[in-house]
Amino acid sequence: MHVDLSGGGLFARALVHLEPGEKFVSDAGAMIRASSNIDIDVTTGSRGKGGILGGIGRLLTGDTFFLSTYEVTDGRPGDVGLAPTHMGEVREVNVSPDEAWLCAGGSFLGAASTLTLDTRFQGLRGLLGGESLSLLRVSGSGTLLVSALGMLTGMNVDGELIVDTGHVVAFTEGLSYKIDKVGGGWINTWLSGEGFVMRFSGKGQIILQSHTPTRFGQMLGPLLPERQA
Amino acid sequence: MEHTIIGNPDRGNVSFTLAAGESVVVEAGSMSFMTTGMEVKPRLIGGLFTAVKRKLLGGESLFLSEYSTATAGAIAIAPAFPGTVLCKELRGAGDALIIAACSFLACGPGVSLTTEYGGGRSWFSGTGPFILRATGTGPVFFNTYGAVVERDVKGSLTVDTGHLVAWEPTLDYRIRGMGSIKKTLFSGEGLVMAFTGSGRIFLQTRQLGGFVRWLAPFCHG
Repeated sequence: MHVDLSGGGLFARALVHLEPGEKFVSDAGAMIRASSNIDIDVTTGSRGKGGILGGIGRLLTGDTFFLSTYEVTDGRPGDVGLAPTHMGEVREVNVSPDEAWLCAGGSFLGAASTLTLDTRFQGLRGLLGGESLSLLRVSGSGTLLVSALGMLTGMNVDGELIVDTGHVVAFTEGLSYKIDKVGGGWINTWLSGEGFVMRFSGKGQIILQSHTPTRFGQMLGPLLPERQA
Repeated sequence: MEHTIIGNPDRGNVSFTLAAGESVVVEAGSMSFMTTGMEVKPRLIGGLFTAVKRKLLGGESLFLSEYSTATAGAIAIAPAFPGTVLCKELRGAGDALIIAACSFLACGPGVSLTTEYGGGRSWFSGTGPFILRATGTGPVFFNTYGAVVERDVKGSLTVDTGHLVAWEPTLDYRIRGMGSIKKTLFSGEGLVMAFTGSGRIFLQTRQLGGFVRWLAPFCHG
């Protein structure tokens, strides 16, 4: 299996090449095209994490209820083209068995079926961040595809980093975080417009997106005309 | 203070590296990530009363946040919508830039910002009744929706009000319709700004309001 990323800038896409026997899972609706020998199976989960509960879990993470699974049917290689709904970059993350990744619900595009997807609803902790951040735990060995609103920035954290909740795409499990105020007093935090932020600490990798759906939506909302009854 | 703009033309964002004691003023809510040890203080242009008045009259409160550090640090910010981030370096006395209030992103601490009530003509300018005047020394960052058209005007240039982002105050402008009142009302061009003089002007090739109005009928099914 290998992935070609193309169409950089705001309109990135991924072409996933599959060998016989390999399976790839994506957010339902992410497929643009597929070679004719690809079979598409829509499920509520992947790799034993399925069933109705897995599906409900994914609803809580802000993802669609269904996942699509792709595999070749005729013993020859095939390919699937995938793209996110929103405008932004796509990145390939190679997950290794040594360290699991936590991926923000809205940033998951797809994953090799060799990876295990676990929903970990962050509940109150997430809601306190202002944007109910909920995380998907991705473990095992294989390719994970993440998407962004805008640009993706990856960095190695060794120490501490403060991130506005809406900008988190994915991070390695070795990083811990707590919800914190942005700096100074609570009134200053409120006036800064940042609300709560995530204070990451430890050693690991983190991927961030330049823009957030929340702010973009807040900008567009007032410009929409009144809804006609 | 050092800055790096990345992601232009369609997903522009900017990061700042601050040495001990330095600060940067940014649009409230625009921080994406930063190092620890940063202090934030709210800043209102022209005090609370003016800010409230602006909010009531122009819909833009313009709360700003000043991030500073006693040690050293870095902070990254982004505009609310995808587009290009621009920077103009102000060089002290006589140097100024006028910015449509919704296009302001950030500035250095040596830049002072005032809001101006542009008078009757600005009510019709599409940039809202208030515009921002940046003066002083240091960089000013502003953002566009769509690509940027940057022109050095010598003489005159007519600009659609919704596409205006920023201009140097050495340019004067007046609002006028395209032709007769009937033509103005029905042409869809509405009102235009006729700039005269000599100076730099920044335009955006798309407008967010127009995009949303175009999209809205499809949103409502």
